[in-house]
Amino acid sequence: MRGLRQTFLLAANDARQEARHLEVLATALFFDVVVLTLFGVGFAGLSAAALRVALPAMLWLAVAFVGTLALSRLFEREREHETFVALLVAPVDRLTIYWAKGLVGLVVLVLCAGLQLAGLRLLFPEAAALFARPGLLALLVTGGCVAYVAVGSVFASALATDRTRGVLLSLVLYPLSTPILLFALVATRALLEGHPAAGVYVGQLWALAVLLAAAGALTFESVMVPARPGGRSGRRR
Amino acid sequence: MSRALWAILLVAAAALFPPAAARVFLDTPIEREMGTVQKIFYFHVPMAWCMMLAAVVSGVAAAVWLFRASRAAEALARASGEVVLVTGACVLLTGPIWGHATWGTPWTWDARQVSTALLFLVFAAFVLLRAYGAAGSERLAAALAVFGALDVPIIYYAVKVWKTTHPTTDVVGTLPPSMWRTLFFALSPIAACVAGLVAVRYQVERAEQRLDDLYLANER
Repeated sequence: MRGLRQTFLLAANDARQEARHLEVLATALFFDVVVLTLFGVGFAGLSAAALRVALPAMLWLAVAFVGTLALSRLFEREREHETFVALLVAPVDRLTIYWAKGLVGLVVLVLCAGLQLAGLRLLFPEAAALFARPGLLALLVTGGCVAYVAVGSVFASALATDRTRGVLLSLVLYPLSTPILLFALVATRALLEGHPAAGVYVGQLWALAVLLAAAGALTFESVMVPARPGGRSGRRR
Repeated sequence: MSRALWAILLVAAAALFPPAAARVFLDTPIEREMGTVQKIFYFHVPMAWCMMLAAVVSGVAAAVWLFRASRAAEALARASGEVVLVTGACVLLTGPIWGHATWGTPWTWDARQVSTALLFLVFAAFVLLRAYGAAGSERLAAALAVFGALDVPIIYYAVKVWKTTHPTTDVVGTLPPSMWRTLFFALSPIAACVAGLVAVRYQVERAEQRLDDLYLANER
């Protein structure tokens, strides 16, 4: 219960900062619009059959690009203001930092995915089939975003530390996030085609999201703070 | 890990490889539909198994290093991670040759092909980070190996949960006894070679760690 309260307090702090400056959200949404425009220009001439194949890729590529931008900015902000160390020494369970950052990242990513979907619907009439089952579509988008944020938060946080920020997040995150995109692509294509097993595919995506969130929660603190030889004494419970 | 182990394993691999190759090409019947090209199966499948095993070993060792700061685990994670690259390259080379002969195209973007290529890419990123990353990037690389190992069940189940062109995991069980016995015979030199390479890299890594410690002690 205490951890949940701490998570919401940290997430509320991030949300407050975001409401004041709209830094992450504005840049992510702007980037989303740019990507949409490029898709519109680039794929306007595609046939309906080709578009049905391309639409899921358009959606999830945009999510991957925007996700990298939003997550890196979310942690980079803490580093620039030199508040990241303060966050690490604050009297909160460090795992709550992971959940809080993940929660904020998830909200940004879901909003961007929503905008992307609306834009795709506007640009390409073939995307209308995605909205035939809105509940399943919402689950699909949320599941994909949860999985992406679960992995991305661990690596964006590690890259926000002074010594490792020179290493590109994309080098690390894109290969890791591709299984998520693979699951999401299969589920989106099934939804687009009205496949009866679309629900099963969305379920598989959620199973992956839960697995990645568990792995992220397990590794987050160790990635941030080195363990001492022979045990966990360097970590805080 | 005994210092003589790598030598034993590599000698065993060298000794077992000629009879395994002879058995694959001379003693095992030619598959009716695919013909001689099916022989690549006896190298491709064991290599893929070894790649997945090395990825799991690397992921588990990286997790142990992350949580317990065990330098032996760090060395094992790095050694196994590099072997994933070697075996992965062999799998990604032999697979398309087989695919070209059986499907008419070397690459179909099938879920198993993509997830295998991804495992290779994740461990390529792991090796690059370990080799060129700034100080402190070791933990990041370790987390990468942990998440990379999670790709192994995806590779395994890719052919079960999605419709793919790749043969399913049940295909080994449906083989005639002469073929699956050859498959396991071919596995032995490949597994010994892979284990030997991991052992060699592990010893080199441990030696480097000891050298670093001596250097630091001398600096103080």
